[in-house]
Amino acid sequence: MKFAENNRISHRQLYRQMILAFLAPFLLCLLGEGRVLGKSGIAGIFLAAAVLSVYVLLLLRMVPGYSDLVKSLGAVTGRAAGAFFLFYIVLTGAYLVSVLSELTPAVLITGIPGTVISVLTVAVCSFGTHKGMQRRGRMAEVSGGILLWGVVLMMILCLGQSRMSYLKEMAEGSSVRGGEVIKNGYQVLCGFAGIGLLPFGLKDVEKKGKAGKTLILGIVTLSGIMAGILLLLPAVLGWERLKAEPYPVLPLMAGADLPGNVLARFDVLWMGFLLYSLLFAIGSLFHYGHQITLKAHMGTGRWWLPAAVFAVSLLKFGGRGIQDYYRFYLSRLFLPGLLLLQIYMAFRGTWKRRNRKAVSAVMLLAALFCLSGCAAIEPEKRMYPLALGVDAEGEGFSMTYGMPDLPQATGQEKQEENGSIPVLSITGKDFQEIGEIYDRSQEKYLDISHIQVILLGNTLVESGQWQEFFSYLKEEPFMGENVYLFRTEDPEAVLAWDSGGTSAGAYLTGLLENRLPEQQKEGVTLRQAYHQWYQDGSLVQLPRIILEEKGIQVYLNPPGQ
Amino acid sequence: MEKTKISLNIRENEAYIRKRCENCADILIRPMRLGDGPKVDCLMVYIEVAVSNMMLDDSAIGKMVNHFWEVAPEQIQEFVRNNSLGIADVKKLPDMETAFAALLAGNAVFFMDGYDQAMKISSKGYPNMGVSGAETEKVLRGSREGFSDSVKVNSALVRKRIRDTRLKVEEKTVGVRSRTMIQILYIDDLVQEDLLEEVKNRLEEYEVDGILDSGMLEQLTEENWYSPFPQYQTTERPDRAAQELLNGKIVLICDNSPYALILPSSFNGFMESSEDWYHHFEMASFLRVLRYLALMTATLLPGLYLAVIRFHTQILPTNLILSFAEAREGVPFSSVVELVFLELAFELIREAGVRIPGSLGNAIGIVGGLIVGQAAVTANLVSPIVVMIVALTALGGMVIPNEEFASAFRLLKYLYLFLGGYLGIFGIVLGIYMTAAHLAGLLSFGMPYLVPFIKKEGQGGAGEGILRLPFRKRSRRPVYAKQEEKLRLKRRKEP
Repeated sequence: MKFAENNRISHRQLYRQMILAFLAPFLLCLLGEGRVLGKSGIAGIFLAAAVLSVYVLLLLRMVPGYSDLVKSLGAVTGRAAGAFFLFYIVLTGAYLVSVLSELTPAVLITGIPGTVISVLTVAVCSFGTHKGMQRRGRMAEVSGGILLWGVVLMMILCLGQSRMSYLKEMAEGSSVRGGEVIKNGYQVLCGFAGIGLLPFGLKDVEKKGKAGKTLILGIVTLSGIMAGILLLLPAVLGWERLKAEPYPVLPLMAGADLPGNVLARFDVLWMGFLLYSLLFAIGSLFHYGHQITLKAHMGTGRWWLPAAVFAVSLLKFGGRGIQDYYRFYLSRLFLPGLLLLQIYMAFRGTWKRRNRKAVSAVMLLAALFCLSGCAAIEPEKRMYPLALGVDAEGEGFSMTYGMPDLPQATGQEKQEENGSIPVLSITGKDFQEIGEIYDRSQEKYLDISHIQVILLGNTLVESGQWQEFFSYLKEEPFMGENVYLFRTEDPEAVLAWDSGGTSAGAYLTGLLENRLPEQQKEGVTLRQAYHQWYQDGSLVQLPRIILEEKGIQVYLNPPGQ
Repeated sequence: MEKTKISLNIRENEAYIRKRCENCADILIRPMRLGDGPKVDCLMVYIEVAVSNMMLDDSAIGKMVNHFWEVAPEQIQEFVRNNSLGIADVKKLPDMETAFAALLAGNAVFFMDGYDQAMKISSKGYPNMGVSGAETEKVLRGSREGFSDSVKVNSALVRKRIRDTRLKVEEKTVGVRSRTMIQILYIDDLVQEDLLEEVKNRLEEYEVDGILDSGMLEQLTEENWYSPFPQYQTTERPDRAAQELLNGKIVLICDNSPYALILPSSFNGFMESSEDWYHHFEMASFLRVLRYLALMTATLLPGLYLAVIRFHTQILPTNLILSFAEAREGVPFSSVVELVFLELAFELIREAGVRIPGSLGNAIGIVGGLIVGQAAVTANLVSPIVVMIVALTALGGMVIPNEEFASAFRLLKYLYLFLGGYLGIFGIVLGIYMTAAHLAGLLSFGMPYLVPFIKKEGQGGAGEGILRLPFRKRSRRPVYAKQEEKLRLKRRKEP
């Protein structure tokens, strides 16, 4: 503070910056298929944390050398070092922007082109990044705590979905082997490579000589959260599925709801938290990039850096983009290079003393809004099936959508109306064709995010074609994983059955859930079915529905078993 | 600038004054001859309405002038020389510029032949509203007094609450033509000197022809002029101003304005009401939390509504999204247009309510809202749920204690509305990121706007956060005060 020394950031601000900048990139990019997982993953995280704790103490001693690279290393070497760091910043920024532009349209807002997401992200993240460390420190102090506690709270809420039996699968399926631990630890170190930029910012930290404790606390917190998520993921998704998921933290909250049915699902909020952290990480890269250009006497990075990040995020060579090359660059080039550079700097003994544009930006954003606006679909222009019936038919499949009785569901019943339950059946040779037929024949957008039950036909189950159906469902990000699964002889007939105005989806969900705790029935959810499928390729035993003249009967333990 | 001396010859003075006051019908120049036997020529100059005859009769100098009828001329001059400064409401004016400044400030000025100084006879000055109630900062508990539009009355209202000579009141005049009087109030041993210096420098920074209200002064001196967020706290409550002075802040009072400016200001300060200090800490904390929730409602609700119904329907319970869909059946516009339409309609009603006088304005607000909302729903222009969203958003905005601060969020609401409507939760997060970045960069006289949410080590105990500490635990002053004077409460003796 000006009147209480506000030109430096506090240790709390430094700690929260670390949390904000690293949390989402770690959770999204370090965990998952072929990356840090299992017991050796957890051990690797702690190994990396130990190494990093020593490393940051060394970094603290290097701050003076970073205050002016040209002075410390000479004109050529200093600029080369600056270019080395800037290259890292551009590639890391491009990688994160690319991940964001890939995931956001796929799991958050469908229909908006990834390029639009990239432009908006780069524009917003470059906002004010040249205006000093204090601004980022204050921003982190205000929002870092909220993010940290939000993530911890969500992890606690998610505990309700976990199963000890799933966790045991991880305990049995993974082991702690030296090579694996080192490999995982190295991956975590690569993720933490950004910490190598810290000396550029540490000069703005008050009592920087004592900042080591704060930095170590940040590393321990991040490692703790990562280890916690590594335990939570297999406990919720199952070990085999976890190994096959590219971004397992995304479906982590897909089946979780808030107590009191305030929100049906809060995975969108979870993604919102991750998104904010990603934006902060990209903004921090721009900030450090600008600092480096100044310290390497290379002008300002204020404008060209965001442009370069955006351009590199779009580049493709032979169909492969930054996401395919980045890991190689980070583990084989940057991290070893960083260590060599820092050793060189240490031995060289040079750590001695250490508004037209705004209008154009608004125009661009306005144009992007226009481009993106067509993706949104009004609620009345959507069809909300509450139940889905699937069966094999001849060479293909038939899908039946059970619609809600709208006046009944919204409490706006009219006495004179007594229509039958609306169902829509479509048959096609595969699910893609069914989707195409739907698009050709129906006026409303199919919103499957409110499906409560899925009925699998006996033919589908017995012929093994349910696997194709599951593969199709995996591509649908909005399908909740807390959906109940049943099997029946004729799904269409069950969905068309008139339960007195209630749709089959609401009826079957009510049948399972509207009971006292001791009477609660154990239905089978989509998440459990996925788990078994990933585990051994089989279909979990599903409750059976039998349609009789007087109504439907649900057998949780099918008769004769 | 060279000063014009007051002549010993009263005729020369009168000629000079008449020339300067040509065509100023409101300035009265009254020559008189006083004394027993040989007379002394005198001149009384004053503004007609600002100085009443009654005042002249009642004031000490008035009585003195009446006494001069019976005194010899040489005795009059000697009397004035020796006694004028002893009279409470009289001040000697050495030159014509000072005399005119005193005259235009609403005082009477007395000239006498053979005497090269004038005398200012203080009056109550120009007409003003007098002390009235605080209109925009109503409280359930606490003083009902509000500032008036006279700078002198306002500083007296503060002095009434802090009867200590360490409360300093410095006067300045700004505006080349308006010559508006500004008072800088601070407590000598609590204020940070560099802050005080900075304030004075800012006031000197521009030369402007006129300052007619504290709002003009505020815009001229604020650091980030492009920001929609106010960087001065305004108040029309003397008790609030006094409380902030005790916190080590500075209060600026501008003549002709019933709003005092408090600086430096902070985000949290705008969310506080003066009665927060009078309520028990539980209630005060609850009210503060409620205000923050209201702030989020006022800013984010329309955007979140659009994001959810247009992109993320999965997060709502099924029956709720079905109700939304049912309600929107038949509405010809997209939900963004529908919401913007109703928000703008509400803004119109609000503006009409403010402009139309008295109780009719209130009636416009209520009746207009009901009728326009109901008619729009019936005509299928908007869905009923949108009326509820707009009403809740408006209510949220009204809960924010400071009007200028609420207005900033009123504008932001539209940004979030478009971001949520066209980019869903991604847009909302982008908006939050931008707002956080902007607020983090904002300073009010060098003090970060986000104080006390950002703080240095060892700055607790001030009870300045969202939750208010119990009164007896608020032992330390906030960061605005001089660091040597941190303690504001201590127990006299141990129980």
